[in-house]
This record gives sequence, C-alpha cells and structure tokens, in this order.
Amino acid sequence: MFPYSEASWSVVDGAMFMGWGTALPGITTLIAAAICVFVLVVGQSSEAKKSSKF
Amino acid sequence: MESQIAELTAQVAALQSSAGVTNTGFAEVFYYLSIPLMIIIHAGFLAYEMGASRAKNVLSSGTKNLLAFAFMIPTFYFFGWWVYWGFPTGLTFSEGPNGISGAAYANAIAWGWGESAQYMGPNVADQASGVFFGAFALFAATTASIMSGSVIERIQTVGFVILAVILGSFAWVVAAAWGWHADGWLVTQFGVHDFGAAGLVHAVAGFFALGVLINLGPRIGKFNADGTANHIAGHNLPLTVIGLMFIIVGFWGFLMACVILPGEAWSWYGHMPSTIYGTPITFSALAFNILMAIAGGIIGAWVMTKDPFWMMSGALAGIISTASGLDLYYPALTFIIAFSAGVILKYCATWLERRGIDDAVGAVTVHGTIGVYGVVLLGIFGSGFPALGGDAGVPTITLYGQIVGAIVFVLLGFVPGYIASYILNMFGMLRVPAGAEEAGMDTVKVPAQGYPEGIAQSAPPAE
Repeated sequence: MFPYSEASWSVVDGAMFMGWGTALPGITTLIAAAICVFVLVVGQSSEAKKSSKF
Repeated sequence: MESQIAELTAQVAALQSSAGVTNTGFAEVFYYLSIPLMIIIHAGFLAYEMGASRAKNVLSSGTKNLLAFAFMIPTFYFFGWWVYWGFPTGLTFSEGPNGISGAAYANAIAWGWGESAQYMGPNVADQASGVFFGAFALFAATTASIMSGSVIERIQTVGFVILAVILGSFAWVVAAAWGWHADGWLVTQFGVHDFGAAGLVHAVAGFFALGVLINLGPRIGKFNADGTANHIAGHNLPLTVIGLMFIIVGFWGFLMACVILPGEAWSWYGHMPSTIYGTPITFSALAFNILMAIAGGIIGAWVMTKDPFWMMSGALAGIISTASGLDLYYPALTFIIAFSAGVILKYCATWLERRGIDDAVGAVTVHGTIGVYGVVLLGIFGSGFPALGGDAGVPTITLYGQIVGAIVFVLLGFVPGYIASYILNMFGMLRVPAGAEEAGMDTVKVPAQGYPEGIAQSAPPAE
C-alpha cells in the first residue's frame, strides 16, 4: 500500500502513510469513531446492569 | 568588488560553521535527554513490579530490578555495544554494504581499550558515541526489566542478574544488529521493518522470559492439583498502575531515540530526520500514532476487562502492537490495531496461564505475544513500502519478511532464555528453596522492611 508508483523514498514529497490517496484514511477514521461509540454503549449497559444490583 | 565577495564568502562560511555547531549540539542534547526519559521506564517497571509483589516480597523485587539496571550498563559497555556493530551481517562478522558493521568496524569503535577507547570515553572530537551508547544501553535495560517482572517472588538474585545480562547485553543486541541496523541481514535480505522495536526489544524479551519461566516454575500456591490457577494479587495495585503509566511516559524517550537526526556525519540526510533504516520519519507522525495507540489499547482492554491493571497493560500493548510501523501507519488505523491488541490481551495471558506458566505480570503476553502480533501486522498493512532509504531497488516490506523477522526474534529470545535458565537450574542458581519462598524473599534477602508500621492509620490533624 505504498502511496507512490515507484517503491522508493526518493520520490516521496508529502503524505507517506498507508492508504494515502485512497479511501482507507476515511474508512479507518469511521471505524475508529464507531469503536469509541460502541465501547461507550457497551460500557454504559454493563455498568447500569451492575449498579442496579445495589 | 572582489573584497566584498571575499567578505561575503567568509560570512557564509562563518554562518555554516555556526549552524553546524548548533546542529551538533542539538543532536547531542537530543539523545542525551532521551536517556533520563528512558530511565522513567525503569522507575515505572520498579513501581509496577513492587506493586505486583506480595508485601513479603516487595523490597526484594525492587532490589532485583535495580540490579538488572545496574549490571546492564557496564556489561553493555564491556561487550554489548560491540555486539551491535559486529553482528549485523550474521555470523560472518563481515562488513555490510553501508560500511558501518562487521568485526573490524566494531573493533575500531566499540572496545574500551586500545585505539577504539577514544570512542568509549570523553573526547571533544566525538559528540555522538556516548549519547548513542547511552540510548542503546537503556534499550538493553528495558529488556531486562521486561523479564524481571515475570519472575518475581521466587528467583535467585544472582541467577536473575546473569539472565538479565544475557538478555540485555547479548540476545536483544543480536536481534537489533540483524533487524535494526541498515546493514542487518534481516533488513537487507528480507526487508524487515521494526521502527519502534516491537520484535527486537519486546518480543525478544517476552520470549526470553517464557524460556526462563518454563525452567523456573510457578510460585507456590499458583496452581491447584487439578491444574487450575489461583490469582495471586500484588499488595499494591495502585502502585502497579502508576508504574505502568510511568512506562508509557518513558516510551516517548524510547521512541524519540529511535529517530536519526539530520545534518551530522552519521545522519542519513541533511534536511530531514530518518529511522534507523534511513527511511523518512517525522516527530509529528510519532505524536499522532503514539497517542492513538495508547488510547486504543486502553479502550480495548477496558471493554474486555474493566480492570485498571489490564487497561494500563493495554496502553503498553497498544504501543507495542503498532511500534513496528509508527512511522508509517495512519493514526485511525493505529487506533484500530491498538484497540484489537487491548481486546486480545487478557485472553492471551489466560491461555498461557492455562498451560501452567506463572507469568506474574503478563510480560510474556504484553511484550512477547503482542510484539509478534505487531511485527506481523505491519507485513499485512505496510506491504510494498521500501524498507530502506535510498533509490529504487531497495528491499520492500512484505508479510513473508515480517514473519521471518518475527520467528527470528522469538528464537533469539526463547532459546537463550531457556538454555541459560536450564543451566542455572542445574547448578542450583535459579530458584530459591521452598522454605525461603514461603517465608518471603524480603525476610531472606533484604535487611530492611518495606512497611515497618504496616498500613498505619494517619495521625490526627492539627487543630
């Protein structure tokens, strides 16, 4: 997933991360955000269940 | 006119000289400051390990950890530094393509005697060797501390120090020479890329610890007759958690020391920093990715365990799982990988425990298993990236190459750890007698008390 046509660092003059120039950064950002929301939902549910016993 | 040109030429030369002095001074101070930051890693391991010990063993665990650090520095000076420069091309000890490796090169710069001693002590013409040595010696001490926590509460002190020296001043150094050096054969032949040392520090140390644990055996009371495990709680979980946070702080020093600054005779480039492989990197990349890795690891471990010990271990796992490619990952991808490491962490530790391994702090899992996970994942996501600086034709990162690297790192850790601990066990130098273990290592070894007043009630406040 090297974002340049030639596999050489001498042609790199800007962004150099995996997926640059493709949809990958957007997709991974969306997934990361979804993970955060999912974890908060699961965490709230779990904590509420435990708290209700007291 | 000619005199003006001559004057301008002189001014340009003076400016260049001044800039060079500034650059050299900055570079020297940069690596110098990475050393106390990495010592914070050891403050963290010290607190972590002491907190994870029962009260009867708290000071002996601390003593052991301090000795690992203390013996690592001189032994790395005596021969570890030589190993790094002598071994890159394998057991031939020949010079590599960049001309900065092999026995002859190491003989010229890394022994503390003869002509090479000029690079191993104060020298106004050498503002690099000491700070590079210091940074590498602290990497070495980190490996010893990783192993140290896993073997607490039953290992003999001298046997442990011998193991720490084998790991820190030899085993991981060979891994670094092979996979973390521009002439290293794993790099030049397989394109192995491990920027932040997930494999060559963490996996090597984790699997070295596993080799030792097999011969050392579990603590008394850890396993029941039917093979089920009991949880042996440390005496101070808050101290352990804070220690883990210190390790995270120190990692910033560890990772900054993995960067080669520009503009010096030993630099890859005049205008930009690089990795140890000569591939470009920015500190902004590290800032993005390290922070996302810490966060992802903590969140992943929280959702699975709700336990602050595993959450902070998750932070470590987050960094380690992405360390190989912190220079290349996109931050959101870093977060996802680190999250996954936090999720699997506890399960990996439990899996190991079910096989009769008593790893008191989960070091084999956090550093060994997750280190391998990180090295291999880079082969999936980073495939096709050039593994070395320079023009076209350099080796590229591949899944195959990263798997080869991971296997070599595992073997470089496990084999020496298993063999050395086996030999120490034969000579009765590995484990304390059962009576001493039950009495508590502090009573046996340490002429001081950790908590002479117990957990005392506070004195009443002043009126």
